[in-house]
Amino acid sequence: MHSPSTHARRLGAGALLVSGLLVGAASLTACGSDGQQSITIYSGRSEKLVGPIFEAFSAETGITVEARYGSSNDMALTLETEGDKTTADLFLSRSPGPTGYLDDLGMLAGLDEDVLAEVDAANRSSGGTWVGFAGRARVLVYNIDEVAEADLPDSVFDLTGHEYAGLVAVPGSNSSFQDWFTVFRLRNGDAVAISWLDDMVANGSHFYPKNRAIVEAVGRDEVRFGLVNHYYNHQEVAKNGDDQRSANHAFAPGDDGGLMIIATASVLESSDDKDLASQFLAFLLSDAQQRYLTDTVFEYPLATGVAPATRLPERPADTVGAVDIDDMAAEFKRTIEIIEASGVLDQ
Amino acid sequence: MSETSTATPTTEGAARSRAGTGRPPWTLSGGAVLVAALFALPGGYVLWRALTGGALHLLTERRTLEPLWRTAQLAFLVSASAALLGTALAWLTVRTDLPLRRFWRVVAPLPLVYPSFVGAAAFRSGLTPGGIVHDLAGHLGIDFQFRLHGLAGAWLVLTLFTYPYVYLPVAARLSALPSSLEENARLLGDRPLQVFRRVVLPQASSSIAAGSLLVFLYTVSDFGAVHLMRFETLTQTIYRTRLFDQGRSFALALLLLALALVVIAAERTVARRGSRTEVVEDRSSLRIPLGRWKASAVATCSLVVGLALFAPAVSLADWGLFGWFRQRRGLAGLRLDWGDVAGATWSTVWVSMVTAVAAVAVVLPVAFLLARHRSRVGGIVNGVVVAGFAIPGLVVAISLIFWTLHASPFEFLIGTMPILVFAYVVHFGALALRTAQVAVSAVPRRMDDAARLLGAGRLRRLLTVDLPIMAPGLAAGAGLVMLSTMKELPATLLVSPIGFRTLVVEIWDTYEALYLAEMAILSLVLVAISALLTWFLVVRRADHLS
Repeated sequence: MHSPSTHARRLGAGALLVSGLLVGAASLTACGSDGQQSITIYSGRSEKLVGPIFEAFSAETGITVEARYGSSNDMALTLETEGDKTTADLFLSRSPGPTGYLDDLGMLAGLDEDVLAEVDAANRSSGGTWVGFAGRARVLVYNIDEVAEADLPDSVFDLTGHEYAGLVAVPGSNSSFQDWFTVFRLRNGDAVAISWLDDMVANGSHFYPKNRAIVEAVGRDEVRFGLVNHYYNHQEVAKNGDDQRSANHAFAPGDDGGLMIIATASVLESSDDKDLASQFLAFLLSDAQQRYLTDTVFEYPLATGVAPATRLPERPADTVGAVDIDDMAAEFKRTIEIIEASGVLDQ
Repeated sequence: MSETSTATPTTEGAARSRAGTGRPPWTLSGGAVLVAALFALPGGYVLWRALTGGALHLLTERRTLEPLWRTAQLAFLVSASAALLGTALAWLTVRTDLPLRRFWRVVAPLPLVYPSFVGAAAFRSGLTPGGIVHDLAGHLGIDFQFRLHGLAGAWLVLTLFTYPYVYLPVAARLSALPSSLEENARLLGDRPLQVFRRVVLPQASSSIAAGSLLVFLYTVSDFGAVHLMRFETLTQTIYRTRLFDQGRSFALALLLLALALVVIAAERTVARRGSRTEVVEDRSSLRIPLGRWKASAVATCSLVVGLALFAPAVSLADWGLFGWFRQRRGLAGLRLDWGDVAGATWSTVWVSMVTAVAAVAVVLPVAFLLARHRSRVGGIVNGVVVAGFAIPGLVVAISLIFWTLHASPFEFLIGTMPILVFAYVVHFGALALRTAQVAVSAVPRRMDDAARLLGAGRLRRLLTVDLPIMAPGLAAGAGLVMLSTMKELPATLLVSPIGFRTLVVEIWDTYEALYLAEMAILSLVLVAISALLTWFLVVRRADHLS
């Protein structure tokens, strides 16, 4: 047992140590602004995917990239909360939903004509506030040991048939699925969309929270089919080779099951460095970075004149971005309510 | 202090400590109210957004009430089972001659450190085709069809990963109890289980209640485990609607907060009615011999720790090894930069230690107010501080960003370490408060009175009388805060300085990119680091002090 004064001394020393650490930490963060050019990017795409692009940009231009990562919805929510006091210059989103939401709030700046000209009109906003920089096709992933290629369906509407009872996985709460369902709904009308989803539920489709989990589960034949984005399977095959027992199937051209969802880039209206941000967008849409996105990440390049990696299936005709959505928040709110009401989340 | 170590409970002392001695000094209430004001920031934001969001009518709808019912159901089940496991383990490791006690004391709190999405993923995937349990069963010719999901899955996973919220405070409490009571009971012929029921349980009840409350609040605010187990609770809806339907999201967050406050108030009522015995450390380390119960005691500990700590670790190691073999076979290599891992480890260690000490220091005045004085202010302050733990981390982060940027003179602090530590403290202060409060009420007022008569000032009495006796309890609370901070994700992503990366951030990043092998290795690093810290800072320190 120690005497009380030893305790007191120790506690004092501990307090000193902690305040020292705090002061040290504060001063560490205070310095760092020494006139070097830098841009801040809030990224809804993971560092494993876009980190190499940021590094290449810094190496080529000498402009430092500060990146905050998180889900696209969280990044958009943070940007909304920060308002015009945000330090972010750019926002990269997994899909047009969160970007359109910020656009509706008037938080996005108009982009340079040069940047907009790099991308087909179908893959950017009509108001000129964002561009798509990479696309993912919605596909049906299936287990190659259990399903013959000839038996694969032409349409997403076929999946409500009895031959698919209990065999299909649906990522009901996933944001890509919500993007897809919103456009599916706007193209076919609420009545058709709701009855399709209800039929899927009645057919015993399984709910999985994430696309990746579905691809993994299909590879193990935990479930036979799944509605997912195409690139997860390519990544799994790249990692596991022939051990990966799943493959993508694209629905017939023009079928609503095969829309393309595009990842978007935008510049914040409050940014003080719009020129640098524009420079970054041009870099992102350059041939080299678009090739990286298609050859290494297995997505569809969206800059005109860049061909997709040869192993990717043919590029889908329609994209989520091509459908103009007037009130993003209202449409997604409606989508979420329909998905909840269908009961698919309890499957 | 040796002359006090033989102190035994006295009814007079117990009565005084329970009733409190009149009106609290204004410095104490003032300090506590200030602390509460800071802790009220997230709750205040939720209230304001819910009231102005125009979606309060949803609160009586079926689609709201069903998730509410499921949330409450899950939280009560998890609290009950975690209370049982935590208390049993605490008693076995602290008060009996269980073999390998030190080993058990290091490993028992560790399941707390699994981020719930990692733990749930490890369990789910271990049982499905390709997972280690399924494949082993397959080798034995068993077609293993068991799947973990829904209420049962969420209950099991959350119980296993939250029982340390009960274990740590109860173990701290038991190690400070005089052994004389148990000894008497034993001499009078009670068997171990009877001693446990008749002596230990009443003495530890306030700690058990406090720990169970934390389990309840953790469960209602958890997103990772219920999401992976596909069990629809309130937090699932809050997350799903967080961007596009914020009125509903905040209305449901308010409902969550209300549920939390009701349970917090109920726990306080129960805790105040419970009997308290003043204790001081007693170094005549009595251990109840388990006798013929020894084998079953060891089996219990092995089962719990095996399921909660080692089973996920094995499942993770299985993935990690898979990645390593994959690399050896010339397929995709492990994408891990060991320099980044070391950096993230160091960040994790120091930020969690700073947060732990800061949290204990901040809640101390509240603990004194609650334990020593009866006042209405105390009840309110308690509710505000503890409720911080029930608010999902994402909401805490967003609310602090709002207050800092738009309603405070501290705009310059956004994106700095102090604001991140502040977010952690507001979120996890409750963990330190409950154990600190129990620790304060364990200090005999006699000693304080004696010191006062001898002319010691308030600060000197705090440093020389109160703190040394409270140390094991405070260390347990600090340990809870530390382990929780190590696995915190949403606030770390949103309010940390840009580029500050903890291990969980790396784990999340690899998980998002489906690099399961890398995720597994990083998770094992996190578990190993937390084992080391628990050993050095919590277990060894508690041994040292008692």
